[in-house]
Amino acid sequence: MLTLKKEWLESKREGRMVWLSSIVLLLLGCALLSSWHSYQQQQVQKQQVIKSERERWVNQGDKGPHSAAHYGIYIIKPDTPLLIVDPGLSDYQGSVLRLEAHKKNDTLFRSIQDAIQMQRFGDLNPAFIMQTLIPLLIILLGFHSISAERESGTLKQLLANGLNPKRFYIAKVLALTGSGLLFFAPVVLYLMYSLLFSDSFSADRSTLFIVSYSAYIFIWSILTLSVSSYAKTSRSALIILLVIWALACLLVPKFAIEDAAQRYPTQSSQVFQSKLESEIYTPARQQAIAQFKQDTLAEYGVDKVDELPFLWSGAQLQFGENYANKVFDRLYSQRRKQLKAQSFHYQNSAIFSPFIALQTISMSAAATDLAHHQLFTNAGEKHRRLIQNTLNGDLKDNGLQSSKQNQRYQADHHLWEKIPDFHYQYPGIYQLSEHYGRAALCLILWLAALVLLSHFAIRRIEREGQ
Amino acid sequence: MNNEDQTNVISVTNLSKHFGSYQAVNDISFTVKKGEILALLGPNGAGKTTTINCILGFLKPNAGKVSIAGIDPVKHVVKARQQLAYIPEQVALYPKLSGLENLVYMSKVAGVNKTNAEFRQLLNQVDLPYFATDKAVGNYSKGMRQKVGIAIALAKSAKALILDEPTSGLDPSASHEFSELIQDLAKGGVAILMATHDLYRAQEDAHSIAIMNQGTLVHSLVGDDIKDVQLESLYLDHVRAVSTC
Repeated sequence: MLTLKKEWLESKREGRMVWLSSIVLLLLGCALLSSWHSYQQQQVQKQQVIKSERERWVNQGDKGPHSAAHYGIYIIKPDTPLLIVDPGLSDYQGSVLRLEAHKKNDTLFRSIQDAIQMQRFGDLNPAFIMQTLIPLLIILLGFHSISAERESGTLKQLLANGLNPKRFYIAKVLALTGSGLLFFAPVVLYLMYSLLFSDSFSADRSTLFIVSYSAYIFIWSILTLSVSSYAKTSRSALIILLVIWALACLLVPKFAIEDAAQRYPTQSSQVFQSKLESEIYTPARQQAIAQFKQDTLAEYGVDKVDELPFLWSGAQLQFGENYANKVFDRLYSQRRKQLKAQSFHYQNSAIFSPFIALQTISMSAAATDLAHHQLFTNAGEKHRRLIQNTLNGDLKDNGLQSSKQNQRYQADHHLWEKIPDFHYQYPGIYQLSEHYGRAALCLILWLAALVLLSHFAIRRIEREGQ
Repeated sequence: MNNEDQTNVISVTNLSKHFGSYQAVNDISFTVKKGEILALLGPNGAGKTTTINCILGFLKPNAGKVSIAGIDPVKHVVKARQQLAYIPEQVALYPKLSGLENLVYMSKVAGVNKTNAEFRQLLNQVDLPYFATDKAVGNYSKGMRQKVGIAIALAKSAKALILDEPTSGLDPSASHEFSELIQDLAKGGVAILMATHDLYRAQEDAHSIAIMNQGTLVHSLVGDDIKDVQLESLYLDHVRAVSTC
């Protein structure tokens, strides 16, 4: 407490801490407010769309079930309030999915497409500030914390007075970590507020979020003080720490992304979509349909589809859906495997950068990572298949009468109402640990390594004057 | 701890320290008793600061032994340091903190438990001007900083006080004031080891004098011998004699 109080008094009187803190807090406050504002707007819009979309679907009027299948439904990706703090990949992923017959669409309405040129240049969101700028701030506040004591002679004087180096070092780490956590405080307050007043908020996710960010701040504090205790001068401590910061927060993540993309390449979205179509609409599909027709006729002991006790076109459409679904499952599984390998490779690079570890955990907690996006698209695809199955089943079972009368079968709102609303809720964050487990392990390894480094830093302080 | 150890607060026995092939201190021995002031004289590079660093536990001797109030600083460095106070040539204080805040922090770090009023009283006792007590030490003169250093020693109730060139750069008035302060401390039973170039101050204040040159203790004076001798001539003779050997 003694050293903590002394550090606080010095920082306060120096003015540097006040200025730096004010700037960062202002930035963080602005970023939070701006994200909050856009989140609130988005939530209102999304609720309106969900409501109007249901009305549009139910009130589409009488029509053939297959026409309704092409008419389609739009479903909306759910958000967690943590999106405000860490938008992650959400701007690039899109938030709306159109569910229709024969197609497994990509998500629509990616915020980045609507961004003006300057917004694309760099987005100042709270996560960016906490992951990138707060470590820089910790460095600027603490680089000289021990080296300046050495340079001014106070360290030798304190040691000669009977200072316990271990307690001294721990107090310095706590003081610096405390300063870092102070900047994190607005976010913690927001999380607590959301926890109390938002239904869609998960305590597990906010706990993971707070714990991982606190660990990150602790890591940078220990790193800063270890370097400060080893460096001969404050100037060299600052240079070393800035190099580490640039490597950990800028260069290693950039390199890790490029490396992951090189090692586990994926096709562009356009190429992938055209591959899907080319693999579905093949002569093999025609043969499979012909075979299905023969098998069905044989099963019912008839020669023509008109003699079947149901409408053949309904059965054929569902067969086509099932055929396409198998192709979707195979190709999407390959694509997911590559994306997962990319993600794991990127996470493994967290051994060189705590930034990567935190970024991965943070996006996971905020449900703004690729894994959560895939969970949503998978749920969407399941819903799409349910819709197609219901509509094709209805056509198959109820369309025969109209067909015999040379009339086109038309279903009404009773069928449309049979399609349930799309409600999706992400699973608990700890059930998804596979997607951020490596990053969490790397963060723990960083902590362990730095605690070990602290041992040597304390020994270095003990040897002062030798 | 035997009786001799109890009176000999600082005890240096056959101390040697070398840095590579350079012999900084070579087999020196001396003691500083309770209430005694020992002035360690010698030119730059004589080994005074190396000796002090061995006493403070910052350097591990290559041979010999050091003891502070019976505690070996090599084996129990923090415990040994708690018995002493150290005032370097430039007393290092935190410039943004006031004299009082520096005293409180430096003392409490050493395990001293006193109230702010008691700490203030100590600054008063060392004659730190009243207006300066709550002012940042960044603007303190060297003499004022040394007074804070002495107050730390008082707060710790240190058994030994190690001074490294304490009067260097002080004006005569400040030097005299400082002399009075350490005399008072010695009267209070503190053993004082003072490494200095200031022959006048050594002759005025010290109860014993040890002259060092090139890592060796070349001459010792005790009691009345100090007042009777022409210290400057003696000092120069020894320093020159060894230098020309």
